[in-house]
This record gives sequence, C-alpha cells and structure tokens, in this order.
Amino acid sequence: MATLAVVGLVAFTGCATVPDRPQVIVTGDAVVDGNAQRAAAPAKDRALWDFRVAASALRAANPAEAKLRLDDALPLIGGILANDADAKRARGLFSAESTKTFIGEPYERVMAYYYRGLLYWRDGQPDNARACYRSGQLIDSDAEAVDNKSDYVLLDYLDGFASAKLGGDGSDAFARAQTNAKGKTLPPYDPAANVLIFADYGRGPRKYSGGEYGEQLKFFTKDSAVHSATLAVNGETVVLPAFDDLNFQATTRGGRVMDHILGGKAVFKRNTDVVGNVALVGAAIAADNAYGRRRRPDGTIETYGNRDAQAAAVALGAIGLLSKLASAATTPKADIRMWDNLPQRLSFAALRLGPGEYPATLEFQDAAGSTLPGLTQTLKIQVEPAARDTVIFLSELKP
Amino acid sequence: MKNSFRILAFATAAAPALFLTGCATGVQNPSGVPVTEMKADERGFVAGTGVESQDLVAVTDKMARGVLGIPEITSAKVAPRIVLDPVVNETRFPINKDIFLTRIRSQLNEKSMGKVRFLDREMMKTLERERDLKRGGQVTASSDPNVVEFRGADYFLTGKLQGLTTKSSQGTSDYILYSFRLTDARTSEIVWESSSEIKKQGLEDAAYR
Repeated sequence: MATLAVVGLVAFTGCATVPDRPQVIVTGDAVVDGNAQRAAAPAKDRALWDFRVAASALRAANPAEAKLRLDDALPLIGGILANDADAKRARGLFSAESTKTFIGEPYERVMAYYYRGLLYWRDGQPDNARACYRSGQLIDSDAEAVDNKSDYVLLDYLDGFASAKLGGDGSDAFARAQTNAKGKTLPPYDPAANVLIFADYGRGPRKYSGGEYGEQLKFFTKDSAVHSATLAVNGETVVLPAFDDLNFQATTRGGRVMDHILGGKAVFKRNTDVVGNVALVGAAIAADNAYGRRRRPDGTIETYGNRDAQAAAVALGAIGLLSKLASAATTPKADIRMWDNLPQRLSFAALRLGPGEYPATLEFQDAAGSTLPGLTQTLKIQVEPAARDTVIFLSELKP
Repeated sequence: MKNSFRILAFATAAAPALFLTGCATGVQNPSGVPVTEMKADERGFVAGTGVESQDLVAVTDKMARGVLGIPEITSAKVAPRIVLDPVVNETRFPINKDIFLTRIRSQLNEKSMGKVRFLDREMMKTLERERDLKRGGQVTASSDPNVVEFRGADYFLTGKLQGLTTKSSQGTSDYILYSFRLTDARTSEIVWESSSEIKKQGLEDAAYR
C-alpha cells in the first residue's frame, strides 16, 4: 500500500496547470473566426493562424487584413531561430515537435512570401514584391535533390517581371523560370502590362504523421479536378495555366534534420519499452521466487525468504519502472500543424487594360480542358488610373 | 509477503500509466517576459540576417555625416534644396523604403543648422490644393498666390540596397550593400556617394531544418 501511495505522489509531481483556452464563438466568417482562434491560441501557434487568416482575407477581398497578418508572421519565419527554448524542448526526448514555435514547412513559408509579394505589388512596390519572391525561392533552396532546389516557376518569373517593370533586366530570372517550367512556355514579359492576375485553385497538401509512433511527417495530396483557369475580360480570354503545384513542392523536399531527431526519439521509445517489459517480467519471476515454503521436521509449514531473489525483484522492478516511464514519456510524434487552406496550383497572367471597370468571368477547367460546372465566378475588375499596377487575386477556394 | 511482491510488480507495471495521466504541457514563461527597452543601434534578441534597426541607425548616421561634409553643402551661399527620391530595394528583404531617407533627412535637419533644406514633395497634392483655394479666393493668402513659389530641387538624394545571399547546411549568410548618392539636379553630376556594407550569418535551430 505504501508503494502505491508513493507511486501516486510521484504521478502528480511536476504536473503544472495549463490555463484554459478561451472559448471561441464561431461566426462563420473565416477572417473573424480565424482572428478569434489566433487570439486564443498559444504564442507558438500565432504564425499558423496568421497564415490561415491571411489566405482567408485575400479570398474575401480584404487585402489590408491579409497584409496585417503576413507582416506579423514574416519577421518570425524570415529570421534565424536559434537558441530558442521551445525549439530545444522540441528536440528533447520528452517533448513533442509541436512544442516549437510554428513557422511552417518550406512550402508554407514560401506561400507566405508569395502572398505578401502580390500585396506589395498591389501597393505599388514591385521591388519589395521581388524581395519576397527572392526570399521564397531561397527558402526552397535546401531541398535534398538538386532538381528540386528553388524550383518554383512563378517566384523566378515574377522576380524577373518586377525587374523588367523597374527598368532592369529580368532575363536571368526568366530563363531560370523557363527551365523549371518543365515544357510549359512562359509568356514573355510585357512591362507595359498594367493588370496582374494572380490565381490559385485546387486544395493544397495536408500533413499527417506516420510510422510506429507517428514520428514521420507525411503529406496527403489529392490531385484537384481543376487544372487550369480562364478569365474572360474586355473581349479577350486570358489563360491562367498552372505554373506551380504545392502538392509537388511539399512532397519533393526530401528529409529534414528534424526527421533524424524524431527517428532517434522513436528508437529510444521502442528500446526503453522493450527493456521495461523484459525487466518487469524478470521482476515478476524473481518475486515469485522471493519466498518459499518448506515442511519442518515436525510437520508444520515454514515460509523462508530468498534474499537474492528479493534483491533481483526489486532491482528489476526499478529498472522496468524507469524504462517504462522513459518510454511512455518519450514523444517522437512529428509536428503536423499545417496551413490548411492553401491552394494546390498557382497561376499568373499580365494584361493591358485602360482605366475603368470591366465585367469579367472566371472559369475553371479540368485536365482535358473542359470547363467544370458550378465553379464559374463573375466579377468586376476595377483598373485604377494611377501609375501603379492593378493587382487582382482570384481563387477557386472559398475564404 | 509473497502478496506484497505481487503488489509491487503490479504497481511497477501500472506506474507509467498513472505517471502520465493528467500531465499536460507545462506553462511556458509563467511569469511572462518583461518588455525590454533597447537602443535602436543595439542588436536585439530577436534577430535575422536582414535589415534591422541597428543597421538603419549605423547606415543613416554615416550618410548624414557624409552629406554634411561635402563642399557643395558646407560652402554653399544659399542653403541647397534637396528632394528625396525613394530608395530602390534589390535585396531579398522587403523593407520600409522610406525609413532610410526619413532618418537621413531628420539627421541632416538636426545637425546641419540650416545648411540644407528639404523639399516636401510628398505634400505636393495638398500644397497644390491649398494654392488653388488661395487662387480662388476661398481662403486668405499672405502673398500673391499666382506667383509660383514652390521651389525646384538643387539636388536629389536617393539610395539603393543590394544583396547577396548564400544558404547551405552551415547556415544562411546575407551581405547587404547600402549605397546613397546626391545628384546635381541641373548637371546630373553625382556630387557625393557613399556606401555601407553589412554581412550577417546564422544557422537556425535543428528543429527548424
């Protein structure tokens, strides 16, 4: 009984209370709800909610909110996170990877820069937009396979386009984009084009954990039915083909350093569990032999102690207990927090339109080029007379 | 006694489950992290390899000193008029481009003792509207509003940020060249130019690689 009491005491030692997460009242407005979730979320998840809200805000034609959220997240994801206590804990045996501050996998960080870039361009700052595309491409530069390093077509294409717009030479960036376009012919730059269409469609990759203890970060990808889009405006049809595919980008990164750490944790968890089992079985066997009975000469039964067996039982029990504790406390699970409202495919087109309002129709096509029913959107494009470019963001996805 | 050891064995097996029941992630920084006021030219504990406040301060201090030292400013009989032209950003870091020129301007205004004057081209629309109101007699004027009094620039001050980046398994390295120049508006001569270069590198925690 005394042993149980001690175990009970130990069980609660070191447990701290965690403050209740404030209740979030769902309104159905993705931006409002996302911001409420963000406010209620722990600080380590702020960037995650920034990302989600930014995408929702862009689709809800609320660029100011998208800018606010991305400007909150970019200093974090663009910095060097070193000597970070949360990250150190995430690497440790007894904390999950998700205890670290969320900055997202490379394809998520790239998208934050991609979206911020189009917002800079919208504000008449193509050089800052170009900076975002360059940072995005750099983030993708440490993929394992050479062919998959910095292979976003649009990031290079838009880098060069911004340079061309600023009176520079974007030909190097265009050439890199064309190399990565895998057979697609990219439209040549038209520096006089004043309406820039950024479009995305399909649902992006989703994370899940695999392996014996969930230590492997995996991606669920489902090819979207939408393979391209067209925008009918001012008597012409603008083709919006898919230049980049986030499913491809998420799954062609190769292994992470963190995967090795999680793999090591999984091995430790398995080994300590096995050691614990063996030791506890040994303890039980030793305990069975700790006492024996024998008949005295007078016929009565005597119980005698086997000191060696008793010592072995206690020692093995202690080893087993510690091993099982260590195994149970080891958390190798991969971090599967994800920017879950990303698109699958990214597209871009530039055209010339005079100032004014233009009715337009956006249609989405399948792999065979047939228009998909039920997805058509009608919209109005307002081209400002200002010197800056008009940037239009179109998405198949709802806010 | 044999029963006692059976209890011990049971307790040994059950302990891990009990141990972890109800435990959750602990509270981080339960007392919070107090706000730390830092000097603008001091490196903070939240750092990146991009443009930061200490770089801005160092670069703009140097540029302001440089402009104030040239004969076109020090020996001018009439304070030269300068217009600021937006900085061009060619780095991979999106920045607030106005902040460099704003600080250079405020440094020059503070330290030049009236040796230079800046023309507020950002206010032109507002100023033109005010002038039109005066011309229309809708508001009073202290001088003839039909006389053009908006001054032209003697010099343009602008700058460019250019960068080189290297990323490998050893970390990320960013070199940024900040260059500023003062151009004579009449002759197009560059009468002053100076640059400042800053290189930073770092390697993020393995948890993020």
